[in-house]
Amino acid sequence: MTMLEYDEEVNNCVCFCCGNNCDDITYLLKDKQIVGIRNACRLGASKVVCHPDQRLLNPMIRNEEGILEETTWDEALDKVAMLLSESIRPLLYGWSESSIESIKKGIKVSQLTGAVMDNSSTIYHGTTIQAFQNVGHPVTTYGEVKNRADVIIYVGTNPMSDHPRHLSKFTAFPKGFFRQGGRKDRQVITWDPKFTNTAKISDDWIQFNMNEDYYFFNALRTVLKGQKIDDEVAGVPKDKIMEMVNIMKNAECGVIFLGLGVSQTLSKQRNADILIRLIEDLNSYSKWSMLPMKGSLNVGGFNVALTSETGYPYGVDFARGYPRYMIGETTTIDLLNRREPDVFVSVSDDPVIQFPGYSIKHLVNIPVVQIGTTWGPITELSDVVLPSTNLGIETAGTVYRIDSVPLYMKKVVEEPRNCHSHEWIFIELYKRIQQLKCKGDN
Amino acid sequence: MKTINLFMKKGVTIPLEFDNVLPELLYDKSKEEIEQTIIYHGNQEEPLNKYFIVEIQGECDKADECTIFIDGDLYRVKYIGNRMSCGTIIANGNVDLHVGSMMSGGHIVVNGDAESYAGREMTGGILEIKGNVKEYCGSSYIGEWRGMSGGKIIVNGDAGKQLADCMMGGEIYIGGNCDILAGIHMVGGFIEINGDVDKWPAAEMKKGTMVINGKVQEMLQSFKLEEKIQNPFIHDKYYFGTYNLYSGDIGSKGKGHVWIKEH
Repeated sequence: MTMLEYDEEVNNCVCFCCGNNCDDITYLLKDKQIVGIRNACRLGASKVVCHPDQRLLNPMIRNEEGILEETTWDEALDKVAMLLSESIRPLLYGWSESSIESIKKGIKVSQLTGAVMDNSSTIYHGTTIQAFQNVGHPVTTYGEVKNRADVIIYVGTNPMSDHPRHLSKFTAFPKGFFRQGGRKDRQVITWDPKFTNTAKISDDWIQFNMNEDYYFFNALRTVLKGQKIDDEVAGVPKDKIMEMVNIMKNAECGVIFLGLGVSQTLSKQRNADILIRLIEDLNSYSKWSMLPMKGSLNVGGFNVALTSETGYPYGVDFARGYPRYMIGETTTIDLLNRREPDVFVSVSDDPVIQFPGYSIKHLVNIPVVQIGTTWGPITELSDVVLPSTNLGIETAGTVYRIDSVPLYMKKVVEEPRNCHSHEWIFIELYKRIQQLKCKGDN
Repeated sequence: MKTINLFMKKGVTIPLEFDNVLPELLYDKSKEEIEQTIIYHGNQEEPLNKYFIVEIQGECDKADECTIFIDGDLYRVKYIGNRMSCGTIIANGNVDLHVGSMMSGGHIVVNGDAESYAGREMTGGILEIKGNVKEYCGSSYIGEWRGMSGGKIIVNGDAGKQLADCMMGGEIYIGGNCDILAGIHMVGGFIEINGDVDKWPAAEMKKGTMVINGKVQEMLQSFKLEEKIQNPFIHDKYYFGTYNLYSGDIGSKGKGHVWIKEH
């Protein structure tokens, strides 16, 4: 086995993979290049070291033969500015890997162009955010979970696979002030129609029928109110439901982690809505709170930044010069399904991987701009490609963790020669669109 | 009586927003003024006559006496009758989102289907939809606690998910079937559904009345069967047949009533 050779360590960095934003990452550098990582999970590490050949390094414009040709930044930015200023229904989507600083610049561009601004909440935890708006958010932080929680419930989420360090660093395993025994002092329960990796390491797994989440949560609430229920509800035996209510009532501090397995099923926002109601009821007996298991790096930060600027968390429409927001009307999938956008800008996300086929079809017929770091399916649909930098590696910036705690991400290495940060790109676009608008007014 | 006829010249993909096309805003306007009424198309403001041919018949002194006929390919015309307070609007064709949203008076007739949020936060007036209606009919704005609080919605066809979310008052009649979670968070008002209802009607209901003449796929555990009544008298009307009366939602300390016909 050969030892990894490096000449510099950069400590206490924030991982740029998932919404956990693990803040104990060490990058090992040799000749100012990352050669190794410590403390990161397999997902975080692979994101930094894999696929260097797919890195976008120069701006490109698709020529008349349909081939992406390298060009100058001036030409590419002018082209995007022209597209946005002439568009009557532009859509700026993505932002999951953008810093708060760049999202704020993006909001200015959206305001100037009368665009719709949206992020992946629209297909992931948007429904949970709607529930927070409907009934409030019983919030907690990872610090509180680590130090206090003795019952942890994962509902429709599988952090062992998609947030690998979540249990070991923040919730089930670490020793806390009131939980000196670590995992031994905690009861971990999974509610999921599937037997996931998280269910495997849980003390108990409750399997409810697919799409009957709301029915199951309602039964828990009904039992908690002292009412009778049927012998089996949503595929779960009555005794199991009663046992679960008992555990929850007697917990010292409990947390529910909510995933897409609940937020995107039949009852949508109403699943999170009734879970919050359940937590309200449980707080008469114990102390309970809830956190959504958000996937991408700064997906929650986008919601925070947009709410702070406009009052709405995602799917904000600036077409009339002031913000409007309506699920089903100003959200990306609905806009694409209704064939509304005439220019689509993808910022750091790849909608071709994320969206349903019918929605993507519309992208073939309209100008698409990619602002991103790697070549992916969206690049194949793009008319203009603007290569950007990786947040937390090549650019510094602020992000928000799953529990809405802001973290500052350091710059670790220099950016590739011809790549720029999202913040720089949107400052440049704003200037150019403003110039075009001034010319148009004159 | 004044009649304003609007004939759509050609269909659009990016929706037109019709907030300014209301009887109370147009009843005393000339043809030329109506033609210059601003409608919204994406991020652009456009005059009405760019997309519609305008014709006027008769005159009136009050907005109540004004009727607007809208004809053509209206499936991308949204906010028809938004904040309307008087007069009549008749739309011939399928209409887009928010028809009759926040209306407080007057009468809207849609001779076709309506997209989501029809009659959202309505406080008065009558909204008649001859076809089907999609999700959140008579509901609240996202994050808002107050849905429809007055007026009447009549849908001849089917209704989509989460009908009358947070309904506080008024009446809704659905001629066909209804999707899941009809009347969720209902705190008042009256809903009658003639057809079948998918899962979990009246979830988290606090007050109000729902009558279901068809079958219900599944009731929530938090509703209690109170009694069976033959030919009950509900909301000023006799209903013929045997009805099961449920009360709930217990989870929300609700005292609402759901009447379901036995089949």
